[in-house]
Amino acid sequence: MPAGNEYAAEQLKNAGNLKFREGDFEGAEQLYSQAIIKNNKNPLLFTNRANARLKLEKWEGVVDDCLKSVEIQRENMKAFFLLAQAQLSLNHPNEALSSALTAYDLCTKSPTQTNNAARITALVLQCKKAKWEIRERDRIRRRADLLAELEEKLEQDYKRQIFDVDEKMAAGTVGRVEGTEEKAELKSTWEKKVDDLRTAFAVSDPEHMAKREVPDYLIDGITFEIMHDPVVTKNGRSYERATIIEHLKRSATDPLTREPLKIEELRPNIALKEACEQFLEGNTGWVYDCGFGEDATDPRWAHLSSY
Amino acid sequence: MLASKRLGKELTKMHENLAPGITKIKCDDFQEWLMDIRVDDNPLYHGEVYRLKFTFSNGYPIEAPEVVFVRDETHPIPIHPHIYSNGIICLDLLDKSGWSPVNNVESVCVALQSMLASNTKNERPPGDEDFVRTNRQRPRDINFVFHDDKV
Repeated sequence: MPAGNEYAAEQLKNAGNLKFREGDFEGAEQLYSQAIIKNNKNPLLFTNRANARLKLEKWEGVVDDCLKSVEIQRENMKAFFLLAQAQLSLNHPNEALSSALTAYDLCTKSPTQTNNAARITALVLQCKKAKWEIRERDRIRRRADLLAELEEKLEQDYKRQIFDVDEKMAAGTVGRVEGTEEKAELKSTWEKKVDDLRTAFAVSDPEHMAKREVPDYLIDGITFEIMHDPVVTKNGRSYERATIIEHLKRSATDPLTREPLKIEELRPNIALKEACEQFLEGNTGWVYDCGFGEDATDPRWAHLSSY
Repeated sequence: MLASKRLGKELTKMHENLAPGITKIKCDDFQEWLMDIRVDDNPLYHGEVYRLKFTFSNGYPIEAPEVVFVRDETHPIPIHPHIYSNGIICLDLLDKSGWSPVNNVESVCVALQSMLASNTKNERPPGDEDFVRTNRQRPRDINFVFHDDKV
């Protein structure tokens, strides 16, 4: 590489970071691309461009960049974190989960990166949920042809509507922000319709179709989410690793007893972790409580919950 | 995001049942909730309804919520040696050092009910008038000294 190129790449990267912070992701992507032309051996340039492309919803581009970044630097938490998000959006939940788990492993191994653990944990759960939903859809389709047909119609409608919005965005008749909002709206309307439809079928066959609630012993007492990497404290209570560490960094005490508790004293709870996984693997009814984001609460379900 | 998910789940739980004497009044966003509490087994507070305002940061439940009593025509501020007449509460549970993320909105309401239920003194904290006149700080920024843990 000619002398000075590395420096030029660094300058371009900094300019790109500035654009990124301003919310100009297209500008950032271009600057990172120019930086990569100057220096294609810096893994950060690829993950930065992947991050910009993630914002622009250029999923394939994110995947390419992350793989290149990993090629240069194998232990690359950020690359796997971004990769998982793109794979999830591309509807490859198995690959996404494996990337997210790799990111989580790298994160827990590195003492400086615990701040990211909570976000990665949320992503891992999201991947698990996506995986589970695909399996669940297949199961329901096998059981109930009519429901399957109706769900498929709804999905086709939804995909066509999304396609229309994409077309309009590509043609420039709808702005990026506006289009993204419209797509989010379409998605939530579609999800609500599917939910309502399943509700109707569940009422007629509660034994096989009802939503399942996650039992309390699988739920982290801090986030109220099903656990992914539970750790146990001295008094025998278990919490999600990422959240209890956030708490212990502020106050080195057991959340329940207030006794002194250090991060090093936490132990993985392997049996509980397996119980959580097994619950998600179980294929009866749909899991009520592993929603991602701000799920609306629905009192209609109270009578259908089975434990 | 942490706060909105957790509060969403608390809301689901509160649909099912709430401890006696606790009512949710306004919980339609993830920034500010209003809850009412009653303490009928203490003659000092019998028959009255007190309104609590919870304000959440994005870090909830790792960070404590800000909790104060609010006054209007039908809701007085309960008289208690740890409650200032402007509604600010001096309770270790609500302080940075005493808060634990396993607490939740309902458990805070229960703790305040029991703090009122066990009280026998019909008085405000010492220096109440001065504090109410001069305090410009938000409750979370005040460094209370906890004189006793019994109440």
